[in-house]
Amino acid sequence: MPTDDAKQQVSRRQFLKFSGAAGAALGVGSMGLFGYQAGKDPSSYTGWKSFEGGDQTFDRARFETNSPTYEKVGDTSRIDARTEVVFSRMGYIFRSYKDETGIEGLPQHVQAYYKAHPEDLELDLYLVRELYALQREDDKKHGDAFILAQAWSDAMAAVQPPRISEPPEVADFPKTKGDRYHRGDPDSPYKMKSPQNTSKLIKKIAHQLGGTLVGIATLNPDWVYRYPTRGRGLDTDKPLEVPKHWQSAIVVGTPMSWDPMYANPNYGTSDDAYSIARIIGFRLAAFIRKLGYAARPHTPGFSYDVAVPPIMVDAGLGEQGRHGVVITPELGCNIRPTVVTTNLPLQPDKPIDFGVQSFCSTCKVCAEQCPSGAIPKGGKTVVRGYRRWQVHAAKCHNFWSSNLGNMGCRICVAVCPYTRKANWLHKTALQVTANDPTGVSHAALTKMQKLFYPGPNPPDYYIPSLGGKNASYREPPWWLRTEDFVEL
Amino acid sequence: MAFFTGGLFWFIEGVLACLAVVAIKIWTQDRGIAMPWWKWLLTALWFCLAGFTLAMIGTSLGEGEPRAAVMGGVVFGVVTVVTGVAFWRVLGFSRAQPKTNDHA
Repeated sequence: MPTDDAKQQVSRRQFLKFSGAAGAALGVGSMGLFGYQAGKDPSSYTGWKSFEGGDQTFDRARFETNSPTYEKVGDTSRIDARTEVVFSRMGYIFRSYKDETGIEGLPQHVQAYYKAHPEDLELDLYLVRELYALQREDDKKHGDAFILAQAWSDAMAAVQPPRISEPPEVADFPKTKGDRYHRGDPDSPYKMKSPQNTSKLIKKIAHQLGGTLVGIATLNPDWVYRYPTRGRGLDTDKPLEVPKHWQSAIVVGTPMSWDPMYANPNYGTSDDAYSIARIIGFRLAAFIRKLGYAARPHTPGFSYDVAVPPIMVDAGLGEQGRHGVVITPELGCNIRPTVVTTNLPLQPDKPIDFGVQSFCSTCKVCAEQCPSGAIPKGGKTVVRGYRRWQVHAAKCHNFWSSNLGNMGCRICVAVCPYTRKANWLHKTALQVTANDPTGVSHAALTKMQKLFYPGPNPPDYYIPSLGGKNASYREPPWWLRTEDFVEL
Repeated sequence: MAFFTGGLFWFIEGVLACLAVVAIKIWTQDRGIAMPWWKWLLTALWFCLAGFTLAMIGTSLGEGEPRAAVMGGVVFGVVTVVTGVAFWRVLGFSRAQPKTNDHA
């Protein structure tokens, strides 16, 4: 017979066993509730919650490299923005193209471009002759469904800094006239204590201005347009000599609002991030000029004199992906950048390699989801002396000019496995891919991406007139569902 | 901050984990099952896997990805169940018989 003490011990042991089992069940079970709240947590909306720099969290120092992850393979050349940037090229079509004269009525350099790229001429003319008309017809029938998304986009775009109307040698420098607080001579700027110290200051200021990610690069002249775009105070018929005072490039990136971005191509907008980035660019340039140095903002959508993605790579913000957009650890490719070129002495950052080239070489989710087929499914090609994946800009432009909702497409941004909110699940996946030199996890995570997060059938993204269903990658957030708020 | 993503939640999780360790220790003692370090390690890993599976389902639902929740639940749920059964056998939990009054 057990004694009373033994009975008590049995009872205590039974109690501990029972409560431990209950505790284990409760502990494991409540992980589901943790997950649910983590998934909804507003703090996972990177870039839309902090102005203190708290979102630039990735430990870049561990992934720094001495050379960027793009590969220089021969003689390089700079971009002729007048023809190689699709928006500028389309301007010539709108202003000067007539069916009677064909491309002979276009300026010589545009003629030369189209002779070298006949497919682009075909696509550009298809857009103005047919696509716009089809888009207008569908917009009349279906466009009202996206009015809240358009209103959100218009609201974000409502505040615009002025356009730059003077060339760099004038516009970039401090002006003493009318500035009663200007105590110095513009030719004798304030002496900064050290480039390292100044870089730290500039990054803090950029974060305080609302920038989510900030990096600094020594400006590679290859990234400056060979001929400039219109509206930048520059003569588009003259080659752009790289100004001597464009020594460093500060690049600041902000994300598009996350939930609308996932509902691309119809509900997202570039204008939310564009607007913030533009204002940051102008404010940061003003900050630098006040110190007596030259500074010129290059801002989205079209007001650039430089190609931004390689500058972002040089500045260590990320790596250029298959879709041509720079993939960052914190924001994936949900980033819209502004660049400030300056002669302020700065310590540049180093580029990083966190596995994107390897991941993109096998992933191809963006290429498979892109309805226009603009993103290559194959290997890299040599473009202006650099080996990279090259997006077919005219195909891309034609698709996003034809859809409804807001202007643009951004499907490649939304479907990219790196473009995820900052919760534990996706942060863990990022760390796994970044620290896996074998690439095994890349293949596994790509399979999971396709299985867990599939998108619509790509042709469904098109408007009904083009055989589609106005599909979006994800449902819009509740605050952009027009049918819930507006009598249609 | 929501309770389940806050510090207090993780404190309670720690308490519950300690209780679970005590319960497993007593339970294995009562059944005469030896528990070397590697058995503790496998047991802990399995609990982590189970917790991960539920957290993954919850997170996917929370961020509006029901398909990811279902597919993740199926994939990782199957892995959790299969490894649970395998570990149960490998660790000898199914073979041992309860001891009676050996502590008395």
